[in-house]
Amino acid sequence: MTDRAREIDCGEAAEKLYEYLDQELDAATEAAVKQHLEMCAPCFQVFDFEKTYLKFIETRARAQGAPESLKRKLLDQLFREGSAAD
Amino acid sequence: MVTFQRAFAHNGRDGNCKHLALRIPHLSDDFRCRSAMTGGDDKRRAFEETALPHLDAVYRFGLRLTGNTAQAEDLTQETMLKAYRSWHQFRPGTNIRAWLLTILRNNFINEYRKAKHRAESVDISDVEMRSVFHDVAETDPEGKFFEQIVDQEVLDAIDRLPEDFKEALILSDIEGLHYQEIAEVTGVPVGTVKSRLFRARRALQKELFEYAVEMGYIKRSTL
Repeated sequence: MTDRAREIDCGEAAEKLYEYLDQELDAATEAAVKQHLEMCAPCFQVFDFEKTYLKFIETRARAQGAPESLKRKLLDQLFREGSAAD
Repeated sequence: MVTFQRAFAHNGRDGNCKHLALRIPHLSDDFRCRSAMTGGDDKRRAFEETALPHLDAVYRFGLRLTGNTAQAEDLTQETMLKAYRSWHQFRPGTNIRAWLLTILRNNFINEYRKAKHRAESVDISDVEMRSVFHDVAETDPEGKFFEQIVDQEVLDAIDRLPEDFKEALILSDIEGLHYQEIAEVTGVPVGTVKSRLFRARRALQKELFEYAVEMGYIKRSTL
């Protein structure tokens, strides 16, 4: 007998969508969702769309970083803190 | 002031300069020399190697919470100095980024939020929570329209989310924290994190979709 995950329907898969994409599910539930996606093209498309969306948010919003001037100011302060403690 | 020789002798190796200074390309030679001359102690070296690489994340979170760059810079500086002074409280093996963002958030709540002019946020209680996928399934099932939306519009749309929802989304989708870590940073149960995250993501998606329709990047489905 092969190891098959328990079967879930589209409703349950949709409920677990973000937890699945965030890798927050336990192994058994994750396997069940994965198995469902392998068999259900409409669900697979939704999951794929949402995955693209999350990646898009991460990329766009992460492009911004601290200004160089702030990094230098902070290093100077840390240097002073260190010197004071010496 | 200690001399180079004394600093090196004191440290017993010449690794002083190679830690942080090398990772920040615009650092002045002056800083590199001064760093070597003081002979960085273990605490500073550990802090520089472990905490400073998260400076961008701290600044980004500060910027989204305060809504302006000057306050975000102050908040970031205060956070990093506080973290440095409380370095002994950091538990190795736990998520340093979550620890820094917790310090920032507490500082923001105590010192900044009262004074902050709170921008009008969108009411997401009535937002339809289905995936936008269903609106674009016929025309753009792969969500290519997202690529046409500019960075600033994404950030503005995030800023318009109600604060609790915005926090959950930033901590998860931008800074990559796990649900449990977000729960600890924000002081709510994991179930609340999940539901805030769900609503925040769908509300933001809807906003971006409406924007894309308005800009003509995609047509609204007539189905």
